[in-house]
Amino acid sequence: MVNRKLAKVSSFRYTILAIIFVILAAGLVLLPKYVKHEGIDPAELLSKASSTERYISSDVLADKIINQDPSFILIDVRNEAEYEKYSLPNAINIPLKKLLDEDSIPYLNQSQYSVILYSNDNIYADQAWVICNRLNYKNLKVLKGGLNNWYNTIINPPSPTENMTNLDYELFNTRKAASMFFGVVYPEQIKADKPIVVKKAAPKKVITVEKKKKKPAEGGC
Amino acid sequence: MKELEKTKRISIAGVISILVVLIAVLSYKKPKHLYVNNSKTTLETITTNNHFVALDALKGNDVVLVDVRNQFEFDKGHLENAINIYTPEILSDKNTSILNNLKNNNKTIILYGTTTNDVTVPFLLLTQLGYSNVKMATIKNSYYQNQLITINDTIEKPIADIKAFIDESIKKAATIEKPIPVKVVTPKKVITVEKKKKKPAEGGC
Amino acid sequence: MGPLIPNGVIPYEWSNIIAIIIGIAFGFILEASGFSSSRKLAGVFYGYDFAVLKVFFTAALVSLIGILYMDYLGYLDMSALYVHPTYLWGAIIGGAIMGVGFVAGGFCPGTALTSVAIGKIDAIIYVVGIMVGVFIFSELFTLFQPIYEGSFMGNITLMDSLGVNRYWFVFLFTALAIVIFKLSDMIRKRTKKIFY
Repeated sequence: MVNRKLAKVSSFRYTILAIIFVILAAGLVLLPKYVKHEGIDPAELLSKASSTERYISSDVLADKIINQDPSFILIDVRNEAEYEKYSLPNAINIPLKKLLDEDSIPYLNQSQYSVILYSNDNIYADQAWVICNRLNYKNLKVLKGGLNNWYNTIINPPSPTENMTNLDYELFNTRKAASMFFGVVYPEQIKADKPIVVKKAAPKKVITVEKKKKKPAEGGC
Repeated sequence: MKELEKTKRISIAGVISILVVLIAVLSYKKPKHLYVNNSKTTLETITTNNHFVALDALKGNDVVLVDVRNQFEFDKGHLENAINIYTPEILSDKNTSILNNLKNNNKTIILYGTTTNDVTVPFLLLTQLGYSNVKMATIKNSYYQNQLITINDTIEKPIADIKAFIDESIKKAATIEKPIPVKVVTPKKVITVEKKKKKPAEGGC
Repeated sequence: MGPLIPNGVIPYEWSNIIAIIIGIAFGFILEASGFSSSRKLAGVFYGYDFAVLKVFFTAALVSLIGILYMDYLGYLDMSALYVHPTYLWGAIIGGAIMGVGFVAGGFCPGTALTSVAIGKIDAIIYVVGIMVGVFIFSELFTLFQPIYEGSFMGNITLMDSLGVNRYWFVFLFTALAIVIFKLSDMIRKRTKKIFY
């Protein structure tokens, strides 16, 4: 009995499948449309942005530059004029306005290097960071405090006062040494009768972006 | 009957695939927050429009101040008539309804934090979520004898000319004794950034 | 989430292994459903067996509707999918040549290989023919190049070029498929039964 019933249903199986298909296709037409959202979920973006991991301190960055760490690139998001005036060694200038230009994206959206964004302050670099992270670009960091903090800590470190600990003195000495690396010259350097080594800012890294041609895919059955 | 047994498998496969579709549909959760602006337009808005508000412009009938610092800081001291929305909780249901209310009443939301840096993230997030009425307050808050001191914050302004400072230091050193600067030129580095490959898929039937 | 490989859910290095597994499954199913028989394949053109038409049409529909649903629900980013570039005249001429070969030989390249696997002599000759064709094409490539690379239209889809709403298009396509299936059934009933 069951078999016979099954046979009866089965004789309609193609019709049933066809109807299911039509229903599914009609479902697509009737479903409410919404604007596709681009990038990662806002909540995920927020939790990423709330983490302090995304900042790099000026001391760490100075250390990286001095040791010629090859694993990162610096991106200056200020405008061209400011970039011309002063920029960190080997930085690439991508003004905030041009952040999403076709030429800029290969620098930002890659897994080869970690990218360190900076501006005079945190704000523009942070804005660039948020926009890039929404698009799920990886390995982006922001220089904490920007160039102003860079100036205050590395280029012109405040001398420690008498009542400060040894650690502060050590930190000051490291920073002073770093500032010498970046071109600042101190009077006592000469008193010690040492030849002054003026480190010229290293020449611009030449970063070539290879534009891959799309390979024609072979198909066929 | 033998023919039927064979086609049974096909039907089963068909039913399973439809089940998969159904499960996918049923397990689907509508995302709570959706971006209204895409990243290109967002970038355009933030680079062209002025969204910074200085301290003396913070008052007004249509202005609502939002403190993005945490509850503790907020309780310690905050600007008059400010409401507290801590940045990591900005997307919670409660805060979303507050923000939507403000938006519907055509109020201008001005975000402020300890410094201007603090409000960049919530500002951009809200802008991307379609709140066009959000602005950033360029103020700095600090405490002096448990009193909240609010001053104007300068933003994105170089505090010193670093190049000039370096040159100055070289000059100062040079007046003491004239050394011959030895120029060290580090070798040129070539970095190639590979463009993300779009992997071509090969088709075929 | 998807597509799995470009989004890094599955490492890129695995793609070849996955391709081999899919290829084996594909060949097995082709063979198991009788597509290694040239009579069954050629049946489409003579009107006594429309299995090929139905199978490929249905496969296209299933993946089309499935992808659209997955895209709608956010499981798949459709813009990250690879779209085959269109070289209009190359496709037309190549399609016509393949069609002629299909009728004459009774195989399409994929099914020819499955038939070779089960040891069909006609299929072996057919594959040798394919190789000869490939050889001639590559030797005379400079001659064919303008056609092969000409009239490039980019990676477009039917929905782009016709400018219709993709959901409506899929709906109409489904309806069309069912009409075609029904028609093919009618044609099959009218033609003389052939046992093969």
